[in-house]
Amino acid sequence: MNLLLGALTLGFILSLVGLGVWVSFRIFKVADITVDGSLTFGAAVTAALVVGNGTNPLAATLAGMLAGMLAGTVTGLLQTRFKIDPLLSGILVMTALYSVNLRVMGRSNVPFLGKPSLQTWCEELGRAVLGAPSVDVFGWPVAAGDLAVVTLAGLAAVLVGSVLWWFFRTDLGTAMRASGDNAQMIRALGADVERYRILGLALSNGLVALGGSLLAQYQGFADAQMGIGMVVWGLASVIIGEALTGAPSLGFSIVGTIMGSVFFRELVAIALGFGLNPNDLKLVTAAFVFAALVLPSLLGRGRAQEVRP
Amino acid sequence: MSARADDSPAAVEAMVRVRGARKTFNVGSPEEVRPMQGIDLDIPAGQFVIVLGGNGSGKSTLLNGLAGTFRLDEGTIEIDGHDVTRWPEHRRASLVGRVFQNPFSGTAPMMTIAENFALAARRGRPRGLGWALNAPFRDELRDRVRGLRMGLEDRIDTAIGALSGGQRQALTLLMATWIEPRLLLLDEHTAALDPKSADQVIALTDEIVSSRRLTTLMVTHAMQQAVNLGDRILMMHRGNVLHDVSGPAKRRLRVDDLLARFEDVRRRELLDEGAAALLERSYV
Repeated sequence: MNLLLGALTLGFILSLVGLGVWVSFRIFKVADITVDGSLTFGAAVTAALVVGNGTNPLAATLAGMLAGMLAGTVTGLLQTRFKIDPLLSGILVMTALYSVNLRVMGRSNVPFLGKPSLQTWCEELGRAVLGAPSVDVFGWPVAAGDLAVVTLAGLAAVLVGSVLWWFFRTDLGTAMRASGDNAQMIRALGADVERYRILGLALSNGLVALGGSLLAQYQGFADAQMGIGMVVWGLASVIIGEALTGAPSLGFSIVGTIMGSVFFRELVAIALGFGLNPNDLKLVTAAFVFAALVLPSLLGRGRAQEVRP
Repeated sequence: MSARADDSPAAVEAMVRVRGARKTFNVGSPEEVRPMQGIDLDIPAGQFVIVLGGNGSGKSTLLNGLAGTFRLDEGTIEIDGHDVTRWPEHRRASLVGRVFQNPFSGTAPMMTIAENFALAARRGRPRGLGWALNAPFRDELRDRVRGLRMGLEDRIDTAIGALSGGQRQALTLLMATWIEPRLLLLDEHTAALDPKSADQVIALTDEIVSSRRLTTLMVTHAMQQAVNLGDRILMMHRGNVLHDVSGPAKRRLRVDDLLARFEDVRRRELLDEGAAALLERSYV
């Protein structure tokens, strides 16, 4: 039970990463590997501020998110102003961020060591609200702190999802979607496509870094390696989400990504419980995304496919 | 400047004024082309201009030059009194509405009809954090789309990519003129459609352009369209305006006259090539 609860919390936290990847992958149609660096960047900045500086955890979390937005802006500038291939732009920034992250943290791993973080705040809040160190959930004893953490992580996912849903229905957000869908059209309607792309990648990596910052606080440390493979993980959330909801609209697509993130984490927790070697996890994730990308077209082969550019 | 204005009153109220426009693409390479070789052009407000010409004559380049997809090497462009020579494409969108040859170019396929129109309703205007769609806008949209008589008014929440080329081109035309453009550019916008859809879109074009007296440039290959529509015909050849017919002469023009002029151009071209061959034989 505690294993599943932990997976649920992780699923909610990492759904922010999934939503960030959803923005770059579904709106701009690029798999932006900056994510692997910006997730760690968000975690590193938050950890360095909280541990080294005693900064307020909330401010440190926001700073982590801003760091990710900065990384996304750089990737966007490389793609637009310097006309570098989107994939290569991401690789360059991700690689550069590896050094930046080590500089920010000063070493490869920074534990929070009981310093006040959003994690400790949530645990205290949970104990204060429930008035007991643990409660029964369907017969299992669950720590009050864990219950508060999972609730607030879920709220964060719902909040971010709602903000995205609102944003992509505004004039600005609609134009951003169009700039990924048909750049020629929206340029002819007066939108500066390059600016929208930079803004969109900043938004995407900001969400990823926020996820990274929360992840570091949840697991109690920031690590230089923690971002590796995260873009593939985010893609898995997006793709599973689309399979779960059918993604008939923007709202379903966003809800689906959160569901996909949670669902996949639970699957992983169960698989680990049955003895899956944690070292094989990234191989399994990559194989899973590969299958999810290829299967639909294999199944659809032979059927007349309607393709409109 | 003032002397010119005294000479021709039309030039004073010109909606479009092009002076000495030159452009060379692929400079210095074997594929070098010169689709604009010093074009001067005045278009009075409300005039409907048909642009004709063979492949590589520079007719599409003229439209793209006005739209701002590239910068001129030399010369100036004014639209509605603004010197737009150095304006990027997206800035000129505040003055210019466009429909492209490819029916898929003018709409965002993954987005709904309503969302596409919400984008068009803010052409050339700042885009903020207000809702893109609201009830009054949807009502107005349904009314205007009903005017197309394509039954699309009940499908405004359908992704536009699910529609046919003809439907999408009709919607693009409606989008380009949702906010009245100072200049409407139609680049062979019926060339990719089946004959029936092409006729529908042409009828719609005529209706919109003449009822609202829009200043319009329309590139076409169809002689019949050129004869039936518009107030003026420009025939382009090798980056220059070869013929410029308007007024009563335009109204008298028949398809045979146009074909004769094209034949004339073709003969001249053969002559040029013959002369080049002669020179080559003599000197190489």
